[in-house]
Amino acid sequence: MFIYQKKLQYPVKIANPNPALAKFILTQYGGPDGELGASLRYLSQRYSMPYPELKGLLTDIGTEELGHLEMVAAIVHQLTRKMTPEEIKKAGFEAYFVDHTAGVYPQFASGTPWTAATMQVKGDVITDLSEDMAAEQKARTTYDNILRLSDDPDVNDVIKFLREREVVHYQRFGEGLRKAIEKLDAKNFYAVNPAFD
Amino acid sequence: MDENKNCGFKEGMLPSCAPLAMAYVPMQQSVKPIYSNGESLSRGTLFPGLDLPFMNMVNTGDLTGTPLGEVMALDFVAHELALYLDTHSEDEDAFELYKNVLNLSKTTKEKYVKLYGPLTQQDMSQAQSYTWLKNPWPWDYCAKKEG
Repeated sequence: MFIYQKKLQYPVKIANPNPALAKFILTQYGGPDGELGASLRYLSQRYSMPYPELKGLLTDIGTEELGHLEMVAAIVHQLTRKMTPEEIKKAGFEAYFVDHTAGVYPQFASGTPWTAATMQVKGDVITDLSEDMAAEQKARTTYDNILRLSDDPDVNDVIKFLREREVVHYQRFGEGLRKAIEKLDAKNFYAVNPAFD
Repeated sequence: MDENKNCGFKEGMLPSCAPLAMAYVPMQQSVKPIYSNGESLSRGTLFPGLDLPFMNMVNTGDLTGTPLGEVMALDFVAHELALYLDTHSEDEDAFELYKNVLNLSKTTKEKYVKLYGPLTQQDMSQAQSYTWLKNPWPWDYCAKKEG
């Protein structure tokens, strides 16, 4: 069960609307390495995890990712407020605007709608944790790339926070993997799948 | 599997000999050192050892200057400690710190809710009217710092 808190994890206050920026920030909402995929990946992987440390870690990080999803949406929403048709055209925002107006829709920077094909739930402890560690690095790189492209200090302030969270999560998933293999046979970690056998 | 217990805070422990064909991330050794609550929220981590910015771009401001910022910082520190405890459940120092932060967070939120309105629907039990719907919502742009 989830309880909504009427606040963001970190404040989002974007003074200047800028639809051109929104076009690629949106990829962290519904893109291949975005927060929607992150939250669904972790929250879905919980069910086949046999160890309490990992049930807890996936629940807690998955829940935080839902908070990040809301923060990215807040950035996009604030970047696309009060747009005029001229500004929309100048920013090259017409293709998105004609389909979604100023709504927030989960899609890649390229326009492809969000797809579950970008994430995996393999039902194997080592495999799923390896996927999670890779996912954190992919999200971290995406935030690095956003920092290269964006010169809006209000946006970058939030992006730096979100990027650092990926580094912390990578560490925790790595520690989670250490905890998992402690419980396995060190002579052959792959002798069985503890999530199934 | 001897482990070096004298790593610096930016380092962690690894087994000296480890089975092949496995990835090993070093375990964080200790919950200390930690940033202050406000600095922690700005930097995006409670732990200086995990603070690894891109091209040295860092946020240096303290967001605890507003009542909402104070609530956010305490929630954030509690969450960072929860993630640490998920993989270090036997760390008594971390657990004590976690409980202290949760208690402080509870009283700070109670004060906030009284002055500015509900954070959760549970908070409505003390409200005079259905203030849950009151603007701003978290994603609304607010020029001045609310709360």
